Amino acid sequence: MTPMNDSDSAASPLGRVVATERKPNTPHEFHFWTALDSPVGIGTIIRVEGAHPVNGQIPEVYGIVVEGFSYTDLLTPLHDVLGHDGSPSGASLAMTERAEIRLYTAAVLRQRPEEPLQPVPMGKVYLADENDVAVALRMDGYLEEGSRTGIPIGVYRAGGTEAPIYLDADFLIGPEAAHLNITGVSGLATKTSAIEWILSSIFAHFPEQKGSVAAVCFNVKGPDLCFLDQPGEVGEADRALYEKCDVPVGPFQNVQYFAPFKADGFTLNTLRSNDALLHNVSSLTWGLREVLQYAEVLLNKDDVDAKADALIDFIRERIVDRPFNDPMLGNKQYLVRSFADLEQWFRDVLSAMESKGNEGWRTHHVATIRKVRNRLSNISTRCAGLVTDEGTVSDLPFGSFQDRTVYVIDIASLEDAAQDLIFARVVTRLREHLEKRDLGVNHVIVFVDELNKYAPNDGQETYVRKMLLDLAERGRYLGLVLFSAQQFRSQVHRRVVGNSGTALYGRMDADELATPGYAVLSPAVKTKLASLEKGQLMVRHPHFTQPIFVRFPRPAVMRGRDGAERFPQGADVNLDAAVLRSLRTLDPSLTLSWVQDAIGIREDDEIIRARNAALRERPADVRKFFLAQLRPIVSAQPAARATSPALRSVPRDDPYGF
Amino acid sequence: MTVAEPEATAAPDATLRALQRQLAALVPGDGLMGAGGEGPPLETLSSAVELPRLISAVIIEGGSLRAIPVPSGPTFAFAAFLDGTQESRVLRYMNSIPVIHGTVAAVVRERKSRRLATWRHEVSSRVYAPRALLSRDHNEALSALRVHVVDTTAGADFDTKTGEHPFAIRDAAIHKVQEDRERAEHVLAERWCKVVGEPLFIDGGISANERVATHACVVGVVKSHRTLYAEGEELQCVLRLRAGERTTAFRITSTKRTTVASWYLRLRDPAGHDPMWGLVRVEIAEPPLATPVQIRERADEVSRSILAEVVPLALPDGRWDKMVYGIRDCEEFLRAVM
Repeated sequence: MTPMNDSDSAASPLGRVVATERKPNTPHEFHFWTALDSPVGIGTIIRVEGAHPVNGQIPEVYGIVVEGFSYTDLLTPLHDVLGHDGSPSGASLAMTERAEIRLYTAAVLRQRPEEPLQPVPMGKVYLADENDVAVALRMDGYLEEGSRTGIPIGVYRAGGTEAPIYLDADFLIGPEAAHLNITGVSGLATKTSAIEWILSSIFAHFPEQKGSVAAVCFNVKGPDLCFLDQPGEVGEADRALYEKCDVPVGPFQNVQYFAPFKADGFTLNTLRSNDALLHNVSSLTWGLREVLQYAEVLLNKDDVDAKADALIDFIRERIVDRPFNDPMLGNKQYLVRSFADLEQWFRDVLSAMESKGNEGWRTHHVATIRKVRNRLSNISTRCAGLVTDEGTVSDLPFGSFQDRTVYVIDIASLEDAAQDLIFARVVTRLREHLEKRDLGVNHVIVFVDELNKYAPNDGQETYVRKMLLDLAERGRYLGLVLFSAQQFRSQVHRRVVGNSGTALYGRMDADELATPGYAVLSPAVKTKLASLEKGQLMVRHPHFTQPIFVRFPRPAVMRGRDGAERFPQGADVNLDAAVLRSLRTLDPSLTLSWVQDAIGIREDDEIIRARNAALRERPADVRKFFLAQLRPIVSAQPAARATSPALRSVPRDDPYGF
Repeated sequence: MTVAEPEATAAPDATLRALQRQLAALVPGDGLMGAGGEGPPLETLSSAVELPRLISAVIIEGGSLRAIPVPSGPTFAFAAFLDGTQESRVLRYMNSIPVIHGTVAAVVRERKSRRLATWRHEVSSRVYAPRALLSRDHNEALSALRVHVVDTTAGADFDTKTGEHPFAIRDAAIHKVQEDRERAEHVLAERWCKVVGEPLFIDGGISANERVATHACVVGVVKSHRTLYAEGEELQCVLRLRAGERTTAFRITSTKRTTVASWYLRLRDPAGHDPMWGLVRVEIAEPPLATPVQIRERADEVSRSILAEVVPLALPDGRWDKMVYGIRDCEEFLRAVM
């Protein structure tokens, strides 16, 4: 073995394929040895050149190193102990070091020619260059000019080779395959960062001919996704990765935030509540109609038996948003549009039944009616801030989604039930609009973190899990794509992760790696997974026959923690300030004194209703519209004092006279 | 580092199987006695064993053979190790007369940064046949082989009375193979001395080749002791050497060989083992006109350098008590290329 010059390093073989009877090569796995100082490691992609032609063509085999062995000519470790009289320090004094081998096992990525598929032949092993990497991973099929559908996922690095790795948009966004799932331990910010980076990459590289794409992200914890439109720090090394992947360095240009109110009904329930960032934050509030469609999300099976379900269905079909009267109710006309209306209706029905001594009304037993009333009325309490009594609706812009826009729904501070409701309704609405092709974009990526919470492998069936399964199995035909993340892949429903065409793995927990789902990985790959650095991922993609390790740059957006420091959460304000904050997004010229003058001494409910109406309608003249929503206050007229003539005159000098 | 390319094999295929196929084509139907090649190499079966003997040698360091502890002091590192090997098998029986296929190989493994790598190596195969005993057809068939055929009946050593004994034919062939092996070793050693000239550790004696035996960079280390250069009390002195001790140097002279300086050296503690355990005999070129003091200094220096090679152990080789790791490495290399 001779030292390798830089100039000939690319052309010189770095190893030779070997096979023995005990360790034979197969069509899918082979072994090779290298010099001790070769740059080969676990995850390195290599190319084998065969020596003998097959069907007139010298076979080329591409592989990825999945296992490594090192050993010497020692028969037993005891010989080494004997050789140094049991003194480890003596070993370094030996004139000669024992013969040592670096033996690697590689999994075959691709063989050329593809047929006949034969065991890997003996041959020279070369480090794969950028072109080799593209061929090995079958990326050459979707990187051709004119029909390019590659989405950069990161950069493969080994032995001086740097090659961008592309995912096929047809297999990431659909329709061939779709969905992406990322697994990794918490605390390294790998999962969130990776998703942010991939979204940037998709927005930069999604092919024009494939249509438009937007993303809906559910921010389920902390400020993770609250500052996607703010620039973050990007180091030189990361800039190089951006350049290599041809993705512009910068935050997302178009981001819309949505968050429900807190229980007070006027303070946004989000960490992105700093005044400087409110220009693109909208409230998310729903009324009775919106919620009743997803009653199943909020009511568990114990709540909703067949009888209760029938009554809810009756209310949904016959009561809500429809004129209703009933002889038992004195033919009073009802138009139920809000939880408040519904509560009044329930009260009237129960009072009427009680007064007439009836135990049933229209086949519904009084106990069922009371139970449903209790459960439905409770929703507005459990989801206060999201669900309004008065039926005000402020929603995502279904029907006018914009291309390359991220819609972030901050549900981090909500109760589980409210989170489930938001998730179920938003995804369902997205699917409905995509089915009708009127969403505004052709493809929507839905990002859900903590998937093991929403689609667990065990536990009772929930509406959200059913919906996620449906999304994973049928979403790709609609253009509805699920990007999901979780800490423990093994705890997520198999059909959800199984339908994810692309799977990413950050640093993994050793216990998780010990579960059966990772049995296909070699011990060395598992070890590497357990010690991955921040910014490294293992990628599985339909075109890649083996997992590939890549590096991705830090997203060019402000990290949640940094954002929370730089843009501290706005302090809870009184109603005047909250109204001003909301209306200023429509008309920046508004002042606090104008708002105070406008709302005067009105009740909070009325003011909030007027504010919500303005936000919903987004009028050209905000002042005029807002004032019009408020009931006029009759101004106090000073009462004219009636003057009556005195009955008799008072003596001028009578001090006691009246 | 890159992987060393195997040397181009432009020469015709001289492996045992290839030659067997050639002969089968040249002399069809003559394989009734078997094609040969089966079983262990002939070297393990040979009856030509050197008889044990004792030879008195001329002491050149002091007046008598005695044990000397190797003192600490300056040392040198061997730059390379040289070893050779041979393997013989019956190629074919021709009218019950064995024709032998022999392969010899030798290698110099150079030490760089404490790791051993091949400096040069030689591998060659030949056919060894008793031409005088073979028929004309068989001789023509052998001549048609694309390999050099060595006539084992040529030369004065051939004994016409016993030469037809199959064992004698076999032993004669093995002897010729051994000569070829030694020749290959000498070629490499000579080239090393000429090109590099740094300390070379040779497995075995050096006196068979004058140019090697007179070069100051060469040290031969003999592990077998069929011939012992001591008698009587001196022999006891040799056999009672303790680890790290050597004998005083003596001169080995032979009519067929070059005179060298030699001494015994105990590499390892023989306690619990036989008297030959860890015992080697060292050969170097006798420094011309050297005083006993100069000889002692040179012997001490060489002994220290050999003792420095006792680790790593040459295990699992059975001769690890006398073998240094560099020689085991050579043998492993030769096993791989033969």
